[in-house]
Amino acid sequence: MIQGIISILIILLLAPMFAGLVNKLKAIFTGRIGAPTIQPYYDLKRLLRKETINADSSSFISAISPVINFVSVVIAAAMLPIGLARPVISFEGDIILFAYVLGLARFFQILAAMDIGSSFEGMGAARETTFAVFAEPIFFFTLGSIAFMSGLTSIYDIYHSIRLDNVTYIIFIIVCSTSAFILAVTECSRMPVDDPNTHLELTMIHEVMILDNSGIDLFLYQYSSYIKLFIYAILETSFFYPFGVKSYTVGIIIFVVVIAVLSITLAVVETITSRFKMKNIPQYLLFATAIGILNLLIYTFTK
Amino acid sequence: MISLQVQNNQPFRIDEIPFLNKSDFVDSVSEGLSNGFRMIGLFPADKNVTHKIISLLIDPDFSSIHITGGEFPKDKLEFESFANQYPQTNYFECELAENYGYEPIGHPWLRPVRKQNIILGNKPYQFYKLEGDEVHEVAVGPIHAGVIEPGHFRFQCHGELVYHLEINLGYQHRGVEAMMLDTKNNQRVVLSESITGDTVIGHTYAHCSVIESLTDTQISLRAQVIRSVAEEFERIAMHLSGLGGVANDVGLAIVSSSYGRLRTLVINSLALLCGSRFGRGLFIYGGVRFDFNDENVKQIISNLEIVRKDVSAINKFLFSSTGALTRFENTGIVNKDIAQQIGLVGMAARSSGIETDARINYPYGAYRYFPVSLITLPSGDVFARARLRALEIDESLRFIFEQMENLSDGEIKSDVGSANPRSGIVSIVEGWRGEIVHIAFTDSEGKIIQYKIKDPSFNNWYGLSLALRKTAISDFPLCNKSFDLSYAGHDL
Repeated sequence: MIQGIISILIILLLAPMFAGLVNKLKAIFTGRIGAPTIQPYYDLKRLLRKETINADSSSFISAISPVINFVSVVIAAAMLPIGLARPVISFEGDIILFAYVLGLARFFQILAAMDIGSSFEGMGAARETTFAVFAEPIFFFTLGSIAFMSGLTSIYDIYHSIRLDNVTYIIFIIVCSTSAFILAVTECSRMPVDDPNTHLELTMIHEVMILDNSGIDLFLYQYSSYIKLFIYAILETSFFYPFGVKSYTVGIIIFVVVIAVLSITLAVVETITSRFKMKNIPQYLLFATAIGILNLLIYTFTK
Repeated sequence: MISLQVQNNQPFRIDEIPFLNKSDFVDSVSEGLSNGFRMIGLFPADKNVTHKIISLLIDPDFSSIHITGGEFPKDKLEFESFANQYPQTNYFECELAENYGYEPIGHPWLRPVRKQNIILGNKPYQFYKLEGDEVHEVAVGPIHAGVIEPGHFRFQCHGELVYHLEINLGYQHRGVEAMMLDTKNNQRVVLSESITGDTVIGHTYAHCSVIESLTDTQISLRAQVIRSVAEEFERIAMHLSGLGGVANDVGLAIVSSSYGRLRTLVINSLALLCGSRFGRGLFIYGGVRFDFNDENVKQIISNLEIVRKDVSAINKFLFSSTGALTRFENTGIVNKDIAQQIGLVGMAARSSGIETDARINYPYGAYRYFPVSLITLPSGDVFARARLRALEIDESLRFIFEQMENLSDGEIKSDVGSANPRSGIVSIVEGWRGEIVHIAFTDSEGKIIQYKIKDPSFNNWYGLSLALRKTAISDFPLCNKSFDLSYAGHDL
């Protein structure tokens, strides 16, 4: 239980740092010094001081949505094991809750975007919804395929069921980490699906939905987007735990190493790839779903 | 057609212009337009005598400018619009209507050019609007999220697809043309440097040519070469910055920052010559203020060697990256036919396969002796506009290296006398964006009574509107950057 509480604290405290680290690395790769790694904390602190203003045309949805969004994301974070410790929330079937608690966060964010009534935000909401439809299968074919193989439905148990004793698991790690990476990129609006650094409203997907938010509302949205990015990074780390022995310390070391490798990978990808045409993004997401299905096929045929 | 024919930078007397009555004027101009000439100006030769207007058409094949005058009854400033048949005159007619109260009869799309609240045709202007349940109108600006100039864009979309884009400008209107008349001689150069901040050399070159031609001043070859070299520096610097912008819009961070690094080298080289990275203060009536010497030539050449080497490596990366090419190709197409009809100029026109380059069609200064190559690409999409800029960088580098190795001797500044009375002059310069036209007329005492500026953006904004049709709205920033137009140059 203590380890579980440590896990959730790590997520809440270090999530902005991870985003800052990726940005810092990206700056270094493009020959700039870049903002300090802890810049996201300064940004969050600044937002706390700012006044919250909502559009006159908005309803109560805009007021409650940031809180629901934040709480949902924190609940999802509490379901993830770090260093294979039992998380705070863990029960049979929590994999479904995990997927849809994140879905709820997104649902309210989209509602709030449409609630404001700006043409930009409507556009962003439409895009986010379209891509969410394609992103959901990726999750279920990646984590869901392991659940299917092991017959377990709790994220904690699923990760414990991964063993290194079979060659298919090596293939499985490659396949799963690839499709989980694509999922992370999509859900967290990173390149090549969305460009987090752009200032161009017309090309944004996620960012455009929060254009009219300010102060504490924006703080909650930003913080939960940092946590969300970290959540997907943790999903990725979990596939690599079988390489370590069943010890909490080794688990934590693996966690740190994988997070570091992942931040470098994200930064490299964001530096050298260009964004897709908006209409090509669904193809990219279907590709990730397809390799998730491949996972199941490998399992079925080698059994 | 009945007209006065002159060359680029060739002074003429106002009395030589044939002033025709309304119907002859319309016939004559229509005849010129039907010969494939392009309009570069439609305005009164004297600001205060508004019922006498002149039309300037240019003939790229014979390098000539056709000037036709028209005299209208003072109480009936109207004529049959050319724009239905020749869309390229559309915006010039709007400008004439806005500034001097003319009424182009049967004009297809009379709209404000710079003044937001003007009443044209007896009713306030309404934006074009698409009707239908699923039509989505997106209005962007005039205040934008980035640090860019103000302009209002109105998209009529169905889903992600743009059916019509209307661009409404004028937020930067400073009255440059009027200031040109009032300002003292020595302040005019500074004023022309500020017409648009990204084309300092181009506009100043055109302005100095106007004054020098009006005063019959001869410029030494050395000064002309320095001017052209400076102009090519500006072209390279802005093309690098534009390519960086295009790369940034597709998210290629590494390419965009590399172009940025090289641009610094180029503008620093210009600073070695004249102390300003944008070339401010270099031009002066009768020549240039600063000269090349062994020291700065050596430094500049070594800078440009680095640029030449690195640019080819980065170009190779950008133009072989599948991701970038998918974004560039078949995005924002303006085909040759449309480009010709709307009178596109400069690099945007060359990317649509039109052979137009003022350095070649209307040679001036050093380009008369040391020609540059004309580069065109046929496809008219974002790829063509980006690739063309990359190719023009190579050509400009070649020109600069060639000139730096064979500098002629001579003074860099000649004395300037007083302007000829009742004269006119048309000066065309190819800035990095395209054809810049400055036109001036003097009164009987040699004082300037009309000064007209046409930035290439004036022609090309409409091209951007058409490029966006049937293009995804998310590709707008990319198309916009590929045209790289100026707000200040349009608004004046």
